[in-house]
Amino acid sequence: MKSLIALIFATIALDACHDSRKLAPNPETIFDDHGLHVITSFHNDRTRTIAVLYGNDDALANAGKERDAHTPRVGTPGEVFKLVTWDLKQNPLWFGSNINGNVQSVETVTVSAGESGPAIDYAKDDSSQKKDENAVLSNAERISFIFAQRASVFP
Amino acid sequence: MNALKRHRYRNAVAILAGILFTSFVVLQVNSPKIENPPVTSEFHGPEEVTRILKRSCYDCHSNETNLRWYDKVAPFSYKVAADVEEARKRFNFSEWDSIPKADQEGKLWYIVNMIDAGRMPLPEYAATHPNAKVTPAELTILKNYVTSISQKHYELGDTARIVEQKQVAQVPTSINGIQYFDDYKNWKVISSTGRPDNGTSRIIYGNDIAVKALEENKILPWPDGAVIVKVVWTSQAPDADGNVKPGNFNNIQIMVRDAKKFASTEGWGFARFSGLDLKPYGKTVSFATSCINCHQLAKGTGFVFDIPTKPAR
Repeated sequence: MKSLIALIFATIALDACHDSRKLAPNPETIFDDHGLHVITSFHNDRTRTIAVLYGNDDALANAGKERDAHTPRVGTPGEVFKLVTWDLKQNPLWFGSNINGNVQSVETVTVSAGESGPAIDYAKDDSSQKKDENAVLSNAERISFIFAQRASVFP
Repeated sequence: MNALKRHRYRNAVAILAGILFTSFVVLQVNSPKIENPPVTSEFHGPEEVTRILKRSCYDCHSNETNLRWYDKVAPFSYKVAADVEEARKRFNFSEWDSIPKADQEGKLWYIVNMIDAGRMPLPEYAATHPNAKVTPAELTILKNYVTSISQKHYELGDTARIVEQKQVAQVPTSINGIQYFDDYKNWKVISSTGRPDNGTSRIIYGNDIAVKALEENKILPWPDGAVIVKVVWTSQAPDADGNVKPGNFNNIQIMVRDAKKFASTEGWGFARFSGLDLKPYGKTVSFATSCINCHQLAKGTGFVFDIPTKPAR
């Protein structure tokens, strides 16, 4: 009888534990890439963010080319980049894995032909409430950062 | 008349009791005996870690099984013996080196996650062996331990140096018939993960059916035709700003939903192709059993780990 009672209590306790694992899909976090390609991705434990860099055909092709690390890239007319940054959270289903949460921001860099070399447009769609004053980088720094990313190797 | 009925009833009860007693004795006599084979290569870890594992796991997952008297009473003894046999097959702390060195760490993470999910020790075992339960403080010790042993996974290699593509002559095909394909590159990214536990970075794609299932919250079960593809890279060391970028391509994993065809693995067909030559994983179709065993932890999301989620209301 005692063990039966223990079993009932254990079942109740187990159900309670499992509540935190009761999850529903959160499709709002899925980014609509409108046909852009994945160039690369990265995550950062310090800023608790995870990001995917997308680009059009030109952007992907140029990000995959061999390049001299000491010469900063200035962009080629026709390139479009979108850097999507999400919150980083622990995967509720696996201790040891971090997964993206909600979208924080989408940065878009568009390179077009200007009168004297490439004209670069930068725009940031920021949906995050929190603003980290120290992390605010100038647009120029963000553009260089996006240009500097190398394409991930896919089979 | 009444006396006759009572008499018959009493006889029936006596016969039934006799049958039950005889069955009980026969069950006792034939009750399976659990042997403790020699300890050949014991697991070694910090003392506070091994103490928890010994108390909570060793009764089933080692050759040092210590049964209580009630574990030896039939019919329970049959269940206990079957559980111990299965547990030792899954992994055995007394024969730890039978797990390839490269997989031992992953196994420890798996163990910690099984405990974290409340699936281990088995709830029915923990109910009758309360001492085996892992307390939240002990779980933290185990989590800290696995985290501490997995700090050195980063790759020095820079993606820039590994861009040469190997050509694959034929379409790589898993033993269960799932073929590698390129089209996932045109699918939507459903999530992205960083894995400090095994030093990898991943992007997870879903086909239209999978994305629609997420949008409509129809993943229990996922619809037939849903396909999820996970591309895995070995992570580089964090750069000066803390960004962890993908290094070498590691493998690609595919989950194909076909409830009938893959009924033995909860309706999911699994495939993994490793390295740029996309070598299929698994020598026999039974390789998928180990896939689904682990994916049981994601039962609440239709056996898929890496989808965007929020707490259910």
